[in-house]
Amino acid sequence: MVPLSNYLVLSAIIFSLGAYGVLARRNAVLILFGVELMLNAVSLNFVAFAAYLDPDKITGAIFAVFVIIVAAAEVALALAIIIRLFRNRATANVDEVATLKW
Amino acid sequence: MATEVLWWIFAVLIVAASAGVVFSRSVIHSAIFFIGSLAGVGAMYAFLNVEFLALVQFLIYAGAVTVLILLALMLTRSGTTGLPERTDGPQKPFAIVVGATLMGILIAVAVHTSWPGNLSDKPRGIAIDAISNRLFLDYGAPFIIASALLLVALVGAIILARQEEGE
Amino acid sequence: MGAEQAWLLAAIPAGMFLVLALFGRYLPRKGDYLGVLAIGTSFVLFFFVLHDFLHAGGHAAILTSIDWSDVGNFHLRQGIYVDPITIVMLGVVTSVGLMVNIFSVGYMEGEARYYWFFAVLQLFVGSMLMLVLADNLLLVYMCWELMGLCSFLLIGFYWEKRSATEAAKKSFITTRIGDVGLLIGIILLWKATGTFNIQDIIHQAQAGQIGHTYLFVSVMFVFLGCMGKSAQIPFHVWLPDAMEGPTPVSALIHAATMVVAGVYLCARLLPLFEIADGAMLVVTIVGLVTAVLTGFMAIAQTDIKKVLAYSTIGQLGFMFVALGCGRPDVAMFHLMAHAFFKSLLFLGSGSVIHATHHNQEMDKLGGLWKKMPITGTTFLAGSLALAGVIPFAGFWSKDEILHATETWSGGWVFLLLSFAAILTAFYTTRLFIRTFMGQHMDDEVYEHTHESGFTMTFPLIFLGILSCIAGFVVWHGVGTALGFPGGITEFVYLHEPERYHFEWALLGASVLIFGIGIFSAAWLYWGNSTEKSTKLAEWNPGLYQLLVHNFYFDDLYQAVIDRGLLGFSYVVAWFDRYVVNDTGIDGSAQFTGYSGFIMKYLQSGRVPNYAMGMALGIVGLAIAGLVVRG
Repeated sequence: MVPLSNYLVLSAIIFSLGAYGVLARRNAVLILFGVELMLNAVSLNFVAFAAYLDPDKITGAIFAVFVIIVAAAEVALALAIIIRLFRNRATANVDEVATLKW
Repeated sequence: MATEVLWWIFAVLIVAASAGVVFSRSVIHSAIFFIGSLAGVGAMYAFLNVEFLALVQFLIYAGAVTVLILLALMLTRSGTTGLPERTDGPQKPFAIVVGATLMGILIAVAVHTSWPGNLSDKPRGIAIDAISNRLFLDYGAPFIIASALLLVALVGAIILARQEEGE
Repeated sequence: MGAEQAWLLAAIPAGMFLVLALFGRYLPRKGDYLGVLAIGTSFVLFFFVLHDFLHAGGHAAILTSIDWSDVGNFHLRQGIYVDPITIVMLGVVTSVGLMVNIFSVGYMEGEARYYWFFAVLQLFVGSMLMLVLADNLLLVYMCWELMGLCSFLLIGFYWEKRSATEAAKKSFITTRIGDVGLLIGIILLWKATGTFNIQDIIHQAQAGQIGHTYLFVSVMFVFLGCMGKSAQIPFHVWLPDAMEGPTPVSALIHAATMVVAGVYLCARLLPLFEIADGAMLVVTIVGLVTAVLTGFMAIAQTDIKKVLAYSTIGQLGFMFVALGCGRPDVAMFHLMAHAFFKSLLFLGSGSVIHATHHNQEMDKLGGLWKKMPITGTTFLAGSLALAGVIPFAGFWSKDEILHATETWSGGWVFLLLSFAAILTAFYTTRLFIRTFMGQHMDDEVYEHTHESGFTMTFPLIFLGILSCIAGFVVWHGVGTALGFPGGITEFVYLHEPERYHFEWALLGASVLIFGIGIFSAAWLYWGNSTEKSTKLAEWNPGLYQLLVHNFYFDDLYQAVIDRGLLGFSYVVAWFDRYVVNDTGIDGSAQFTGYSGFIMKYLQSGRVPNYAMGMALGIVGLAIAGLVVRG
């Protein structure tokens, strides 16, 4: 099988792509995609560590479970906010909702 | 040997799908690529012999979460002008820098650190009863709190997103 | 009642101060009799102390002390120390104090704040007595400052007059400069010896436990305090101005008691001065310079009180010369005699002032002897004593001082001091002739003059008698007859008692001195007509101006204050305005506001910007972590 570092590198790449997506996209939903990618990468990382380094107390896998739970909750809320925002401003473009400024 | 090749195929697929998510011009295309990416990660879990998590990933992430996001996408389309909307923001160059730096650092750390244990071992896999034991016994309290969190979040989402009277 | 209760002598007047200050204005006659009673009691108690002291041997010192403060390593005991020097001071202060009090009853009659005058007088006598009884330097310093306060209060008694308040301020500030030196000296001595007790310090110094240079420096600082309080050059400027106070004050404080506190302290610490090389020379020179210069200044004065003030400063200089020659016995002797005849002279002038309705200028006086016989006669006794005419008190003490100067080889001290003595005789004679003899200068003043009442003449007579006979205590026989172990030079001494020897050569020199002084003055001023009194001024106007303006000491000091002190305060004010206020306070406030004005642009309101900020921060941290970990 592949060594541990492969999984780590893979998750690093996914994480970086997700970070790029968060920072560079305009649509709120697309930013959410980036966040979800990052969370996925992190879960993969944890599970890889759990499988390779910690077979007794598989803390990493448990953590991944919790990440999934929280990610689901967070997505629901984020989307509710975006829908709300869209209703008020008729736009999902984050660059245009900048009223809380100096 | 075969699993290794398979692994590499899936790895490339995941990277391509993730790249598609963040670089695509069309929102719907991003969504489709997203599903692909999630499915790939689920396959990775399978490769690690954590079947439970693979199942959960497919069900919840690739299933429920994606549908939710697609739903929201539908509801927030701004007009049907037909023109592809611009999806990339003004921070693109900085984001490229940040992303590249982050990738570089993480890969460097991952590769150069000597992880304890014998790395070429096959991962031993995590049985489902191990997970359930740990989850419900040692981490029972956090689990219940997390489920409460989920409930609250969903109720909150409903309240946030409902239509007021007269709207 | 024995010598160990000697502190009662100080406590009674101090307590009476409280009574008079609080209740004086409500008492009948404003409580002046209470004041007389308090000091009179001290005077009587003095004889008990004296008897007890002589009974115990007459030389041994009587000590008693109480634990005052005990904090960690610091133990302080306060107590009294009675030795021959103390006995002399106690006697002088109580007797002169009593006489001045009685005199004040007549002199201050009808003045506003009558009760307050007596109250502060009591406080002063109490603190002076405590000063001479104290056994440690802290108590000395405290009483020193108390006396300074009383002097300030009394000089400024007529505070409605601008000149009086100015004089009070001047006296306090000038003595304060000396007092700072005193405090530094005390602290230096404490640092070296670990104790404030005078006798302990002296013993440690004699055992060689203090470095000689260190001792010299600390002793010089202490001497600064003595110079300030005793108005030696260059600190003398306050005493002539202090004449603004009522005359009894001048008699008590600025002639007999407070100003001699410096002499007392120096005598008390004389063993230290002896060990520190060069200290004795400094003391002698200071005294000598003072005696000569003030002698000159006194010649040109026209106010009778001012003449006496400069005379006092000069006589204090004589005492310091005696101390510098290592003869505290002679210094105390002169102190005692001087106290009697100088206070007599001041009270006499007070009598004149009172009778002529506050005319102090000699230009207006003259020929008063016929009108005020008692005052005139007693004034004559005092003048003869001051001039050093045999057999009055001043002769013996001055003679002894001249004798003491032989410790300095070369005779220059002797010559200069003799010259000062000639000047003394000169101005004293001038004073007497112009005030009491010859023609009167002003008809109106002359008409209204009359002899003063009994309360004023009684002290004059008492002190007059003392001025005549007090000098005889120098003889061995007189002393033993009174119960003392010999003459005064055997009673007070530094190393060994010295029996008084009569020397014909010195007698001749002294007679020559007062002879020259008196006859030259008499030749110039006899008859007291206007043309005679201005002769000296016309002979050399430049020199006369120099003397009248007191060698321009006051102007020099004022210039220093104007240019130096006020100039410096301008610098400080500039600093406070521009550096502290504008830059420090206003500046930092404005800087805060301005930076807020610049930084508000960070709040762009756009979420992606914030996300970028976070991301950059995290990347930065990661890089930093990598760099640190290697």
